[in-house]
Amino acid sequence: MIYLDNAATTKMDESLIEVYKSFSCDKFFNASAGYSVALKNAKQLEEAKQILLKKLNANSGDIIFTACATESNNLAIQGSVKNGNWEYIFSKGEHPSVYNIAKMLEEQGQKVYYINLQKNGEIDYNQLEKLINEKTRLVSTMFVSNETGAINDINRIVNIIKGKNKRTIIHVDGVQGFCKIPISLSKTQIDLFSISAHKFHGPKGVGALYVRNKALLKPLLYGGGQEFNLRSGTENLAGIMAMVRECERIDILKNLENVRKLREQFLSNIDLNMVNYISTESPYIISLNFPGVNGETLMRALEDKVIIGTGSACSSKKAGNRILEAMGFTKEYAKQSVRVSFNAYQTESEIVEAAKIIMQVYKDLYERLK
Amino acid sequence: MKVILLRFGELFLKGANRKVFERALVKNIKDKLSGLGYSFQETFGRYVISKFREEDLDELVDKLKTVFGLHSLSIAEELEATPEAIREFVSKINIGKKTFKVSVKRADKHFPISSMEFSKDLGGIIFHNTQDAVVDLYHPQIEVCVDIRFNNKAYVYTDTIMCQGGLPLGTSGDALLLLSGGIDSPVAGYMMAKRGLNLEALHFHSYPYTSEQAKEKVLTLAKKLGKYCGKIKLHIISFTKVQEEIHKNCAPEFMITIMRRIMMRVAERICEKNKLGAIITGESLGQVASQTMQSITVTNAVLKEKPVFRPCLGMDKEEIIAISNKIDCFETSILPYEDCCTVFLPKNPVIKPTIGHCLKEESFLNVEELVEYALSSEEIVEI
Repeated sequence: MIYLDNAATTKMDESLIEVYKSFSCDKFFNASAGYSVALKNAKQLEEAKQILLKKLNANSGDIIFTACATESNNLAIQGSVKNGNWEYIFSKGEHPSVYNIAKMLEEQGQKVYYINLQKNGEIDYNQLEKLINEKTRLVSTMFVSNETGAINDINRIVNIIKGKNKRTIIHVDGVQGFCKIPISLSKTQIDLFSISAHKFHGPKGVGALYVRNKALLKPLLYGGGQEFNLRSGTENLAGIMAMVRECERIDILKNLENVRKLREQFLSNIDLNMVNYISTESPYIISLNFPGVNGETLMRALEDKVIIGTGSACSSKKAGNRILEAMGFTKEYAKQSVRVSFNAYQTESEIVEAAKIIMQVYKDLYERLK
Repeated sequence: MKVILLRFGELFLKGANRKVFERALVKNIKDKLSGLGYSFQETFGRYVISKFREEDLDELVDKLKTVFGLHSLSIAEELEATPEAIREFVSKINIGKKTFKVSVKRADKHFPISSMEFSKDLGGIIFHNTQDAVVDLYHPQIEVCVDIRFNNKAYVYTDTIMCQGGLPLGTSGDALLLLSGGIDSPVAGYMMAKRGLNLEALHFHSYPYTSEQAKEKVLTLAKKLGKYCGKIKLHIISFTKVQEEIHKNCAPEFMITIMRRIMMRVAERICEKNKLGAIITGESLGQVASQTMQSITVTNAVLKEKPVFRPCLGMDKEEIIAISNKIDCFETSILPYEDCCTVFLPKNPVIKPTIGHCLKEESFLNVEELVEYALSSEEIVEI
């Protein structure tokens, strides 16, 4: 079975079990306690934060550990909501863990605006510029689209926003980009950046939020005051240490080079006279369209041999594909679309084999459904 | 002693066969309560459950409420059927600031005081002992019922909990429910089980056009029905090839019609093999193109012998949904997984098919071979 749904989750590196075990069974002490073995853990936690900040190329700001990217996104957005007559801007391409917060804010009576997507999956920068004004409290756009692999031009977004309102908070959902596409937070004025460990071979149940200025944020959870009072609850040190160990190991540029080759090999073994794909920047994700065959049917017909996705696993139970439709594709096109996503440790030969199997199964289904 | 007093529904209408129905009911009750400690006693016209653990009471009541054939139940105090014992118990009842009445029923007329007299007598005792109680014979807030039975026992209770009614499961025979995963078919199954039919179920899937989740959904629905209907044997048939053949060879507008005619043939064959006496469907007249009078006529026409029971035929969707909610199937039924009827769905399905039309379309297929092929894919799951 060849796994090509790495945007949904990745396989955890087995060596992390040792790290996890060490901080669960040996150095299991509560990092907030006062005795010396616990203080050592507190120090480890601090080092873990530094590792993430380094990976983000951030020379200021802090890291707040959470249980997942959904929590990071909720803390970033809900934690930035302020009383008064403010406006909030989201892109139409956001993951449900952002998009549904926007919907919730709208229901609560907040002024919420949505930025359209261009045909290449990036946001409409001109529309963003028009929407920003002195009342704009927060803008949330993703770094890399989980559906299409489109990369938003974050520097451009930041310049547009800060050029019109320096006080607007900028949140970026960086889940599909972190440890995959280079980013430098020191060169750009991003205020909040969400990450998730299991998207880059770390454990599930661990996420983090980069925060430039903690004073702008309010907590969602109240309790023992961990994580600068912004995320109470005993830190999941074992999960956090496993995440940062993986994070340290990743060579972003080398991986990127490898995945680019995988993508090229994959596409050269797909019959592009029959199959459409959306040309986007991240080589990790390809959105493919198979005319005449329902994407879900293709996914199921393939699943014994190749595992592919039909979009965000977090929304795969719902009908349709909101994001492809927001890019201007028809409902029909969206229904016939699937997502293929790679990881850097896959081999060209397995990718070639997967592409061939996908084509063969697609052609067979196409004939049966004709 | 605290007991549960059970009343049965229309069994009393049965003449010579009453014993058969009663035996089935008792067996069904005992099956349903297996694993719980209690003592079961039959008296004429009532069953009494006693000697259970106080903490099991809610579970016992919940389970009894799902037994077909039981009309209602009451949690009662069982007393010796003497005026003194009953008076003594009633004298401890505190009604509070409420209106009340006392109703005495004497199944056993050997009891020395008439029902009317004894009601007045007991009402007087309660009235005397409770400062703010007010008698209201027509719309009382509390009705203290005293039921004097033949076993020299009297039962005193204030609440009656309605059960399912209907006939004991199995007393009408065995039938096959076509279970699609939608809202109507579980309701149809429930309604016919309530009339005493034991259910087996038949589900058609169309993998990979339909998902594993769609099949799981049907398993969940069968499990939920099982709360009322006991264990259900689910026959699962792959319909992929049949649908592909119809799609390839027949006019698109006849897709659903021909598909349903083949489903009915498969269903009847499963009935024959498993000694099931009828087919149950969730059809509601005119709800969709395949449920018009003409569509039902042509699907019915393929059956050689078995009748089709369609209890939802005369119901509106809202009425069906109300029952679906009552039996806790609605939330599952509306999960958005495609079922095999939505695969290959034509834009304009035929609304008034004729048998002649259907036979013409079927002449492009080897129907018998497709039925055999479908049957050969059968997977059986006991739920």
